[in-house]
Amino acid sequence: MKIEHKILYSYFFNVAFIVLIGLFALHNMNQVLAKLRFVEISDDLNASFLEMRISEKNFLLYKDEKWIANIHENINDSMQAIEATQDDISRVIGAKNLQLIKSYLDEYSTVIDEIDKSGGKNPRLETELRAVGGKLRGFFKNKTQLERQKVNDIISTAKRLLFISFLCILFLAIVLGRVFSKKIVVSLRAIEGLALSIAEGNFSKIEDVKSKDEFGSVILAINRMSKELEDRGEEIIQAKKLASLGVLTAGVAHELINPLNNISMITQNSLELYDYLTKENRLALLNRVAEETKRMEAVVRNLLDFSKTREVKLKEANINDIVRKSVQLMQNTLDLSNIEAKVNLEINLPRVRVDEHQIEQVMVNLIVNATQAMSPGGRLSIETRKGDDDKVYIYVKDTGQGIPPEYLSNIFDPFFSTKSSGTGLGLSVSYGIIKNHKGNIRVESTVGVGTTFTIELPAYGRTKEA
Amino acid sequence: MEEQRRLEMSKKIMVIDDEKIVVDMAKMALEHDGYVVETFLNGESALARLKEEAFDVVVTDFKMKGIDGMEVLRTVKEQYPKTKVIMITAFANLDTAIEALRGDVFDFFPKPVKIKELKASIERALEQ
Repeated sequence: MKIEHKILYSYFFNVAFIVLIGLFALHNMNQVLAKLRFVEISDDLNASFLEMRISEKNFLLYKDEKWIANIHENINDSMQAIEATQDDISRVIGAKNLQLIKSYLDEYSTVIDEIDKSGGKNPRLETELRAVGGKLRGFFKNKTQLERQKVNDIISTAKRLLFISFLCILFLAIVLGRVFSKKIVVSLRAIEGLALSIAEGNFSKIEDVKSKDEFGSVILAINRMSKELEDRGEEIIQAKKLASLGVLTAGVAHELINPLNNISMITQNSLELYDYLTKENRLALLNRVAEETKRMEAVVRNLLDFSKTREVKLKEANINDIVRKSVQLMQNTLDLSNIEAKVNLEINLPRVRVDEHQIEQVMVNLIVNATQAMSPGGRLSIETRKGDDDKVYIYVKDTGQGIPPEYLSNIFDPFFSTKSSGTGLGLSVSYGIIKNHKGNIRVESTVGVGTTFTIELPAYGRTKEA
Repeated sequence: MEEQRRLEMSKKIMVIDDEKIVVDMAKMALEHDGYVVETFLNGESALARLKEEAFDVVVTDFKMKGIDGMEVLRTVKEQYPKTKVIMITAFANLDTAIEALRGDVFDFFPKPVKIKELKASIERALEQ
C-alpha cells in the first residue's frame, strides 16, 4: 500500500471513529432527555395518585361522598395528563405499559363507581379498591425508580465510553504517527546510504525491496540508475580519458620539449664548434645527449603505462607482503638519500584481492615521492592498519617539505608536478590503479611538516593472516 | 681588426634557465663569440646579481619556478631600461607572446632554440 493511501485511510478511520462516538453520545443524550421527561411526568402522576389514595383512605374511614368526587376528579386529571403526554411516556416504557397504566386507572375508576353505587357498604369492594390502588401506585413508583436508575446507568456508561474513546484516539494518533514517521525515516536512511555509496563509485543495490510504497519505487529507480551507471562505468572511464587527452597532449609536449631543446642545443654547438672542442668536451656533450634521451624515454614509458588499458590480474594477497617487498626494492634509494624508513605493519590484517605488481608500483611511486620531498635525515613511516569498515589502510608518511594547499587538489592530475625532474605521471597512475581496485587514495599535507598518503583497499573475505 | 672586434664584443650577457644544459650551451656558444657570459638557474639568483651590476642583454626562460621570465623582464626594465631582454619559451603561446611584448621584450624564441638565430638577435640588440 502506498504511504499516501495509508495516511489517507488512517485519517478516514479516525474521523469515522470520532463521528461514531459523536452519534452515540447524541443518542445517549436523547435517551436521557426522554427518560428525564418521563420521570418529570411520572412525578406529577405519582403526586396525583398519592392524593387519590389519601382521598380513598378518607372515604373508607369517614364514608363521606365528597371524597369519591375528589377521587373522580383526580382520576380525570391523571387520565388527561397521561393522554397529553402519552407519546413521551410510551417512548420510555413502551405502549404496552402505557396501556397497562390506563387499564389500572380504568379498573380503579370502575371500582370507585361500584362503591359509589353500593352506598359504601360493601367490604369486598373496599378490599378490591385497596388492591387496585396499591397496584397502580406500586407500578408507577417502580417504573419511575427503574427509569431513574437507567438514566444514571446511561450517563455513567457514556462517561466511561467517552473516556475510552479519547484514549483510543490518542493512542491511534500517537502510534500511527510514530509508525509512519519511523517507516519514512528508515526508508530515507536506506536511500541516503545507497546514494552515498553510489557517489563513492560503489554501485551497490538494495536487493530486498519489500515496501510497495513510494519508497519502494524510489529504491527501484535508484537501483536501476545504479545498474545503468555500473554498465556505463567503462564508457565513463573511456570518456574521461578522452576528455583528458587535451591536457595529456599539452603535458606530453611540455615534458618532451625541454630534453628535446637540450639535445638540439648540444648538437648545434657540437656541429658549430667541433674543431674547437677537445675530445673530452665532445664525450661530455655526447653523454649529456644520452642522459636527455633517457629522460625522454622515461616520459614516453610513463605515458604508455598511463594510457594502457590495464588488464588487472587480481589475486588474493597479503598487503603486508607487498609493502615489505616495495620497501625492500627501494631500500637502496632510501639508504643513498640517508632516509630512515620505519615500517609498522599490523598483524591479522584481512586479505585483499589485488594485482600485486600494480600495488607495488603505487608503493614505489609514493616512496620515491617521499624520498624526493625530504632532505637527508628525513623519516619515512609506512603503516598498515585494519579499518572498522572492512577496509585495509596503508599510510605513507614523510617529514618532507609538504605540498602547498593550492596544489593539493591537482596532485593526482596527469603531468602535474612540483619537481623539475618529474614527469607528473606517477601519482596519476597510482590514482588510476587504486581506483581500479575499488579503493581510495588521499593526501594530507602541511607545508614544512610533511605529507601523508592514505591508501584504502577493500578487504577480501574473512581470512586472516598468521 | 680581429682584436677590435673582440673588444667591441666584450659585452656582458646574462642567461637564465632552470635547465642546466640550456645555460651551459648558451654560455659555450656565446663565449666562443667573445661575449662575457654569466648563467643562472633561477630568477632569484639572477635578480640578486643584477642588483650589483648591469648587463647588456638578458636571455631568460619564460616558465620557471619562483620568479619567472615575466618578473625578470619587469625588474630588469625598471632597473636598467636600456638592457635588452630576450625571452625563451617552451611554447610559442600567443598569450605569453603578447604579455612579453607588452613588457617591452626585445625578442622571443620558442624551444628548441636555434643558436644562430639567438646570436643574430643578440647582435641586433647590441647594435641599438
